[in-house]
Amino acid sequence: MTRTKQWPIMVTLAVALVALVVNIPLIGALLTSFKPDGAITSHPLSIPVPGTLQHYANVLYAAGYDFPLFFENSAIIAFGTVVLTTLISVPAAYAIVRLKLGGQWLLNAVAAMRLLPAMFFVLPFFVMLTNVGLLDTVWGMIVVDTFLNLPIAMVILARGVADVPIEIEEAARMDGASSYGILVTMIVPLLAPSIAAAALITFLFTWNDYIFAIIITTSAARTVTVGVSQFVTSYGILWGDVSAGVVLSVIIPIVFAIFGQRYLVSGLASGSVKG
Amino acid sequence: MNGFDFSMRASRTIAAAGVLGAVAFSVTPSVADAQTTVRMVLWPGPEGDAMQKVVRAYNNGQGKTDGISVDMVLLSRDDTFAKETTEIATRSSNVDIYFTATYNIGFFAQGLEPIDDIGIDKSKYFSAAIKGLTIDGKLYGVPLDVSNHFLYYRTDLVNRLLKDESWKKSYRDIARKVLGEARDPKKPSEWTADDYLATAAFFSRSENPDSPTRYGTALQAKTSPFNITLWDDLLWGLGGSWTGKDGKAALTSDAAHKAMSIYRTIYEKHYTSPDASQWEYGETNAALQSGSAAFAMQWSAAYADLTSKDKSPQIYDKIAVAPEPGDPHRTHVHTLAISLNKQSRHKDAARKWMAYLATPKAMTAYAQAGGIPSQPAVLKDNVKSNAAFAKIAENVRKYGYSLPTFTGTFQAMQSITEDLSSAWVGVDATDDALSKANDKLQSLLDR
Amino acid sequence: MGAVSAEGFPMPMRQSATSARWVLSAPLLVFLAVFAVFPLALGTWISLTDRSILSFSINFVGLKNYADTLRDPDFWHAVFFTLKFTLISTFATLVLGFLLALLVHRRFPGKTLLVTALIMPIMVAPALMGIMFRLVLNAEIGLVPAILDRFGIAIHLFSPHLVVPLLILLEILQWTPFTFLILYAGLQALPDDVFEAAALDGSSPLRTTFMITIPLMVPSFFVAGFLRAVDALRTFDVIFVLTGGGPGSLTNTLSIYIYKKAFTEGNFGLATAAAMLVLLMVVPLIPFLIRRVTTRVGDVP
Repeated sequence: MTRTKQWPIMVTLAVALVALVVNIPLIGALLTSFKPDGAITSHPLSIPVPGTLQHYANVLYAAGYDFPLFFENSAIIAFGTVVLTTLISVPAAYAIVRLKLGGQWLLNAVAAMRLLPAMFFVLPFFVMLTNVGLLDTVWGMIVVDTFLNLPIAMVILARGVADVPIEIEEAARMDGASSYGILVTMIVPLLAPSIAAAALITFLFTWNDYIFAIIITTSAARTVTVGVSQFVTSYGILWGDVSAGVVLSVIIPIVFAIFGQRYLVSGLASGSVKG
Repeated sequence: MNGFDFSMRASRTIAAAGVLGAVAFSVTPSVADAQTTVRMVLWPGPEGDAMQKVVRAYNNGQGKTDGISVDMVLLSRDDTFAKETTEIATRSSNVDIYFTATYNIGFFAQGLEPIDDIGIDKSKYFSAAIKGLTIDGKLYGVPLDVSNHFLYYRTDLVNRLLKDESWKKSYRDIARKVLGEARDPKKPSEWTADDYLATAAFFSRSENPDSPTRYGTALQAKTSPFNITLWDDLLWGLGGSWTGKDGKAALTSDAAHKAMSIYRTIYEKHYTSPDASQWEYGETNAALQSGSAAFAMQWSAAYADLTSKDKSPQIYDKIAVAPEPGDPHRTHVHTLAISLNKQSRHKDAARKWMAYLATPKAMTAYAQAGGIPSQPAVLKDNVKSNAAFAKIAENVRKYGYSLPTFTGTFQAMQSITEDLSSAWVGVDATDDALSKANDKLQSLLDR
Repeated sequence: MGAVSAEGFPMPMRQSATSARWVLSAPLLVFLAVFAVFPLALGTWISLTDRSILSFSINFVGLKNYADTLRDPDFWHAVFFTLKFTLISTFATLVLGFLLALLVHRRFPGKTLLVTALIMPIMVAPALMGIMFRLVLNAEIGLVPAILDRFGIAIHLFSPHLVVPLLILLEILQWTPFTFLILYAGLQALPDDVFEAAALDGSSPLRTTFMITIPLMVPSFFVAGFLRAVDALRTFDVIFVLTGGGPGSLTNTLSIYIYKKAFTEGNFGLATAAAMLVLLMVVPLIPFLIRRVTTRVGDVP
């Protein structure tokens, strides 16, 4: 806000320090990914100049894994999940919070699904997707990830809807607008920041899913996260290759976050609605 | 739960659509050329890398004649067995060939088809490999890699210890302190458990401020089921075993107490890094590679990395192997294998491929690609590809022992590690840990 | 319920709202009916059977798996460890995330770049984050011990008495960016005029924070706290990769306990029963939390 003008550069330094600390694992990955194997085990603090690109080559093609396919799968699964989750949760959040569908019972039930440890669903999802022929397909993963992320999206959007001033809606009703019209023309625009926030979090959590990607996919729908874990071998971890894989795996989420940041930061908790 | 069968049938049409979808996404060759695709699970690492080459050769060669194309799927180490457990428990036909090992073949056996009818020549294998994959007289897997342990040590340090008079004197003092009796340093190939402990103390700064290394050794004390097998070598080398002559659990024996006290002493006196409570294979290699530890009990597969100039620039020319410490020396041996899924829809094709893999020709290609096949003749003929082959063959034959094969072998590895590792690192009392582990082992044996 | 909310609307409007609420939630209800009912039902059924990889004859065993789990001291150990882990890490990430949000909530050079940098840890899959922690914290080859060593600090992060605090610290490091994000957004959504009025009244920044900002932020705290707590309760990847639940069973979370039941013992009946018990233990808190999440600022819940 307006109040604090003292020492803005100190704020920059303080925030940069925090950013540095929380990103130590990524910084470690970045440094390690350019080091030859010998340097990884002997010089933890060295700066890799000149660096090797061998680890990136291993990840992308040299080790015999089809990473372009893994990236394609991860992207399709993450975007598909975001679209499906958004289409389901925006109208439902409005119906529950504003149209009082079932009191809060439905929202409670959806939120509670996130409390069940993932292992509960491993066998049931495997059986279900096998029977409908969706095992090892991106569609199967989209269904599973939508299921897993609906509780989060619903909670964020329910919060967002609750913050939309009810007066606006009442005025529109007096003018004869239908619930659908209100949702589309008034709620959704005001809710945009919350939708962006829910979408980003859904995207990240889907991109980062591991246990279900292991169980549901075999080869055709394999994702980046599972692909990188292939460098955790029977005998030890290929530090350089895993590091390169980690660096590559965050590029798409970072791009997504940079584009989404404007919406996101202006409204995770709901809010373009001021006063 | 036969309920699944009806839904299975009812959904076949949908399934067909799904399969079409899957094919659209997959990169496998077109469906037109009437080949049967056999899907096989393996884990990444030297085994997966070597198998990749054998698979490629087969698909481009004899596979064409057989009308078979092999599709290999790799998952990370822990996930491989988790996924296979899910698939077997749901009686899935998703893959045709599972990756197994002597320690979990009993666990998976319900979902596997015996393969006595593929006609492999059992005499070509280490007898322990065949025995470990046989349940109730039926063979459940084609053996692939044999795995054992060595004592890896730094030749520069140990040779100096054997020659340098002032080091020898200091060694005697430390041995008196640690073991209660002065003794001279010995060659690693002659080490007993006591020599292992005394030398670990000698090369640790906590006991010997002049030690060139910070720690004598590197323990793998993490709660990982594979780590118990290294401790087992000490136990067996002291005359102990998981079970006694009567077949009952014997983890409260004197040998077990002694083996526990060696591990605990090494940990508590800082003859290994305090972080070793979370160490396994990779960290042990790192401790040797960075020059912080003088020797360690470690898997045979580490030989390639530790003697590679690229991967271990500081120590590659100063590393040698000896049998595991003990009197007699003993080493854990297990064999990795591939097994036929009972639910496979391509059993005939899978059998053909498995029979091919059992031939010395295929195993020679496997050995030259970096695998460690469990056919002694192949190891002997391919010493050129891997200098460790001769030592592996010798150690497996002379000192090898196998864990008993029963349904709970892997579960016992996990649960014994869980109980004992907390005592190795001083969290729980040794007596309690041993008797707890013993009870659990007995209940698994009784099952 | 419907009558209360529709009070005051003209008659046709009320009917329209009634049908609209069903139409608008139809996608959710259909999705749940198709994709949630079956897994939930099958999972619950499995928890009542002796389904295991060791035998294909599956028998109904009633509540035996639940009773066995409740009698298992390892289960209770995992419950208490997980609760401790969840409470401490959730509380700490809320406090730190809020402080960070207060710090960032002003103009300073490089803000856009730094905010992106701050949220980068959320973009690394926890399974991979665990592996990277194993690398950077490794005493022999890791970045962190090497840096500490330069400053003469010899600390063994993984020794048994430090490993629990270490795991909690790592959780906080990875997820403070997440709570920061939610709380920062909540902070920006607050009405400016309240703060301007407070500033005119000569209220000190500290007093403004406690008397105005925090009360207005309560719903955001509940959103962030809820989302963090449910995921902390399910924590698996980082701890499994780093400690495997050890030494011994010291750092077994509930998810690791369940994982071992399912995949090491092959006992899916026990694993699903334990998972169900986790749900049953925490589910009474849900209505309490959700009510606060959906309450408007200033309303009494």
